[in-house]
Amino acid sequence: MLEAIQFSSLREFFEMGGYAFNVWSVYAIFSIFVLVNMLLPILRKEKIIKELKRRASFEKAETNSVREP
Amino acid sequence: MWMWFAKLGSPRWFYEISTKWLPWLASAMCILMIVGIVWALLFLPPDYQQSFTTRILVIHVAVAGTSLAFFPLMAVAGTITLVWKMKLADMVAKHAAPLGAWFSFVTLATGSLWGSVMWGTWWEWTDARLVSMLFQFFLLLSVVALRSAIEDPDKSAKACALLSIVGCINVVIIKYSVEWWNVLHQPSSPLSTSNGSANGPEFWMATGVMILAVYLFFIVSLTLATRNEILQRERRSQWVQEIVRTS
Amino acid sequence: MDQVTTIEAFTATLKRDLLVAYKRKNDIFNPFMFFLIVCSLFPIGISPDPARLGEIASGVLWISALLASLLAMDSLYRNDFEDGSLEQLLLSPHPLYFLVLAKNMAHWLVSGLPVVIVSPLVAYMLSLPDDAYWVMFLTLLLGTPILSLLGSIGVALTVGLGSRGLILAVITLPMSVPVLIAGTLTVQEALNGASLSGYMAVLGAMFFGSLTLAPLASATALRISVT
Repeated sequence: MLEAIQFSSLREFFEMGGYAFNVWSVYAIFSIFVLVNMLLPILRKEKIIKELKRRASFEKAETNSVREP
Repeated sequence: MWMWFAKLGSPRWFYEISTKWLPWLASAMCILMIVGIVWALLFLPPDYQQSFTTRILVIHVAVAGTSLAFFPLMAVAGTITLVWKMKLADMVAKHAAPLGAWFSFVTLATGSLWGSVMWGTWWEWTDARLVSMLFQFFLLLSVVALRSAIEDPDKSAKACALLSIVGCINVVIIKYSVEWWNVLHQPSSPLSTSNGSANGPEFWMATGVMILAVYLFFIVSLTLATRNEILQRERRSQWVQEIVRTS
Repeated sequence: MDQVTTIEAFTATLKRDLLVAYKRKNDIFNPFMFFLIVCSLFPIGISPDPARLGEIASGVLWISALLASLLAMDSLYRNDFEDGSLEQLLLSPHPLYFLVLAKNMAHWLVSGLPVVIVSPLVAYMLSLPDDAYWVMFLTLLLGTPILSLLGSIGVALTVGLGSRGLILAVITLPMSVPVLIAGTLTVQEALNGASLSGYMAVLGAMFFGSLTLAPLASATALRISVT
């Protein structure tokens, strides 16, 4: 399997046959694109859950205060 | 059949089934994406004409192919919203539009990074695919803009549904008219528009893995966003409050 | 009350809209003036050289017509929405398709037709070669109604919104790309001396396609945004 690797040194791998800038920027853009669109919904979910929890406890406190007097 | 259809429209059903499926889809996505990227970066033999730039095409072709799925998806979801008033369809459509704009943008960016070396230009009006992708990007942004402009959620759902249907028809017409425009404007196009003719089976296998990975990414990301929307819109229901309490 | 046929309702709507437009002459003159001014900015911005102007004249005319039609669109449903007569229109027993068509037609007669009529004059000022005058005129005659019909969808979707100018442009401009392509290509080909029947047929197909489909979409959009 290792001999199927197209590069003999790490430097060659980074150089990408002289197309380093284009190849690596495409992979950078793609990684950012994937990461952002996976992480944003995940982070948003936590925020929503937190917000809903806060609201639930708020409503609970409200109903309790109505009952007490 | 109709029972199944009604069930599919229930946000709760979708939330529960996607809870079961998401881990599998996400891990399949991760594995395929890693395999695809490693294969493309390390093992893909250089093309005799394009050298190592075929590594760009692996990503570009996968993203471009998936980006074409958005308008049909949104048009179908829009029809369901307008005809059957199914809440879930609109929740999916709402998040499909910005994600589709992302996909179109990445398609354009990777395409011009490839074109800048292979064609010697970052942008080329004589390539119909570039131009129609640009207008698909604009049309998706217009759906996003309309969504944020109308405050009433029910109204904006229906308006965006209609705009998505009109937009889907339009994307097709734009595609054909731009091709027609190109043929007449530039009878001898200096560019070869063939994309992968010089690439061997290995290229297509790596690209195939990448296409699957990107499709799964599209499904997973859209599902995650839709689940958030469900939590927000159904926050008054018993089952969402249960989820909030236990999480 | 007598029964009113759909045709009568169509002509009544058409007449009413024309009358309203006649009373508020600004709506007629503004897009028309806009068209003239934009067209005359191009020679100043680009070059007064007749040869260069002649090359771009068809594009300038078409894009200016497109922008003028966009600018005029906003008044299509706005006043009727504000005074409530749009709601009356939606409640009428007649198919909304024909009523929308009547409104679009009145609007085009008021804002589109003057632009088409003055276009040969502007074409002369932009030194469009003589062979293309008639073709230019004909493509605009066929093309501006399409722009109105398509724009009507966007206006209907945004009629209730506070700030709709920009969003209207964002929605309608990408939609008018095929019309722009068909229109300018036809003029270009006329300049090249090619046979025009095919190009005119495409433009005609777009015209009849949008005539049958766009009012349906506009009617649906009106029902969505006016509730």
